[in-house]
Amino acid sequence: MKYILEAKDLSKRYQDKLALKGLNLQLETSEIFCLLGQNGAGKSTTINLLLGFLQPTSGAAFIHGLEVAQNPLAILKHLAYIPEQVMLYPNLTGLENLSLFSGLAGFSYSQEELMAYLQQAGLPANAAGKRVGTYSKGMRQKVGIAIAIAKHAKVLLLDEPTSGLDPKASNEFSELLLQLQAKGTAVLMATHDIFRAKEVGTRVGIMREGELVDVLPTQNLNANELEKLYLNYMHN
Amino acid sequence: MVKSIARKEFISTLRDKRFVTLSALLFFLLLTATLVGLHSFNQLQAERTAAQETVREQWVNQPDRHPHRVAHYGSFVFRPKSGLSFLDFGIDSYTGVSVFLEAHRQNSANFSQAQQSGSLIRFGEMTVAFVLQMLLPLLIIFLCFGAFTQEKESGTLKILLTQGITLRQIAWAKIRGYSQVTGLITGPALLVAGCFIFGLNSFEVNPEIFFRLFLFLSLYAVYFFICIAGSVIVSALSKSSRLALVSLLGIWILSCIIIPKAASNLGAGLYPAPTKAQMDADVHEEAVKGIDGHNPKDKRGEALLTSLLIQYRVDSVHQLPVNFEGIVMAEGEEYSSKVYQKHFEELQQTFHQQNSIAVWAGFFNPYLALRQLSMGLAGADFHHYVHFQQEAESYRYRFVQRLNELQATHITYGNKNQRLAAETWSTFEPFDYRAPSVGWVLVRHLIPLLALGGWLFLLLALGPKLIEKAQIV
Repeated sequence: MKYILEAKDLSKRYQDKLALKGLNLQLETSEIFCLLGQNGAGKSTTINLLLGFLQPTSGAAFIHGLEVAQNPLAILKHLAYIPEQVMLYPNLTGLENLSLFSGLAGFSYSQEELMAYLQQAGLPANAAGKRVGTYSKGMRQKVGIAIAIAKHAKVLLLDEPTSGLDPKASNEFSELLLQLQAKGTAVLMATHDIFRAKEVGTRVGIMREGELVDVLPTQNLNANELEKLYLNYMHN
Repeated sequence: MVKSIARKEFISTLRDKRFVTLSALLFFLLLTATLVGLHSFNQLQAERTAAQETVREQWVNQPDRHPHRVAHYGSFVFRPKSGLSFLDFGIDSYTGVSVFLEAHRQNSANFSQAQQSGSLIRFGEMTVAFVLQMLLPLLIIFLCFGAFTQEKESGTLKILLTQGITLRQIAWAKIRGYSQVTGLITGPALLVAGCFIFGLNSFEVNPEIFFRLFLFLSLYAVYFFICIAGSVIVSALSKSSRLALVSLLGIWILSCIIIPKAASNLGAGLYPAPTKAQMDADVHEEAVKGIDGHNPKDKRGEALLTSLLIQYRVDSVHQLPVNFEGIVMAEGEEYSSKVYQKHFEELQQTFHQQNSIAVWAGFFNPYLALRQLSMGLAGADFHHYVHFQQEAESYRYRFVQRLNELQATHITYGNKNQRLAAETWSTFEPFDYRAPSVGWVLVRHLIPLLALGGWLFLLLALGPKLIEKAQIV
């Protein structure tokens, strides 16, 4: 198995609208791939197909070598997902939310271990015992990251995770992604944030009208160049 | 997995101040309804027991009298309250509580609570059954409408699913969690009610009342399960919390207000019952065809006399070994009773047909099915009312015929001044009404029982399939 995540000619049609056209994508471990594109470009559809929440019209998606459509439950062991709005359960504390989700994933952690995961995700220790309803979006994102870390997932799928975060929180979030990358986690992140994509991504994919029109390594690209390229694609 | 999510639902709900306030309100309503019901039960039962004792005392203390005078003097019987009727008043408030028993006539029960109460009773009564049947489902709706939609809206559904849990498991967990919350609200109030039943010597504690209470609580548990599971399914199939709430409130209005009223009106429209005046006229028209015990020139009476003279081989009525007046009264009573019974049965049949619309509607509306069963187990339904009336009539017929027999055997023909000794009246057994068994109740409520069972089966069989159709994206 060469790729931890792979899409082969993956397509999705909603009635008369082709939401995703023959996506071909491969991610290796420790890679952060950022999908850029306007609303409706097919980013969220891609993530939902990879999670098995949507059935592809044609093509196939693979996680850790397993075809998603054929192994909808088995692939979830290797996946963690953080949506745009991580609301979690507002009447439970951060610690209780983490305990619940990691318990559902089959992990039984002690209070100390749970606290360690939350701290690793950057949540202040005094916030762990407070109800999530009192948290800022950035704090909720951190609990979301803690859930992903505690699951020891090999692939992390993120759907516009930094939208609505203040610059400090976005920066902290980027640092967390880089820490996960260093531990071998592959990340696929759908985002509108070109600057963040350049900062954390190893590669950037530009999507337009359901099609992956370009894939660029971020190494030799600065944020301005990337923005120009992106805008060109959008205008054309 | 299911246990963890169920626990989460339970804890989350208990930490929700809005829900806690609503639950506390409902808990106190339930407790108030229990106490009010119990107070009303004790008061009515005491009144009826006292009235029955007074009537018995008056009966026993009659002076020396002619037996037919006693038959016209008559007696009253009072319907005792059923043990569980304090939980569900059923139709008790609208049906009569006492029947005047006399010769030649079958009187219907009179003096209902509604007749003697103000107009407020028209707005319904605050009973345990009302709270459990109508208000608790409303609370369940507020509890469950966001079961899936809120998870979708907050993005937690996808996170839950990525932990490897299925939609079915989530639904079961939610049903379990919400059931625990419902149990927490109803349990203590019903426990208090149970303490009153079994702890305060208010009731005759016997296996029958235990069994009735067990069935009563079990059927309500099934009803709540149907409400919870139904609400969770509606939430799973709805696109937004708002839509789920509107749909569920619509179902509640339809089930608890519109369909019961419509079923009742449809029943009355399809099977009209005769007016009391019409029924009295019909009964009178037929009853006069029988022997008139008070008319010595009645032709049927003369024919009976002729046959008796032949039977006893005597020439005149004075030579008969029995008092012909007593015989003719007994014959007349037998005939008029048959006439009354026939018309009474026809009327009951009409009422049953009227009720049948609501009974069959239970297959479309679990509230109606439960309402019938609840009233039945509480001993406050139409079947119990008819049972009491039949028992009262049976008692009336026996005591009137015994008086006729006394007249035939102890009174000389034509002697209007002859009396029977006062001690005679105490030999008459008092009216001792025994409510029918729980088996009798279940046989008469098979359709609602099947309807409620059908709803349970339907939800268990189709629910998981419907849940899987829930759109995640």
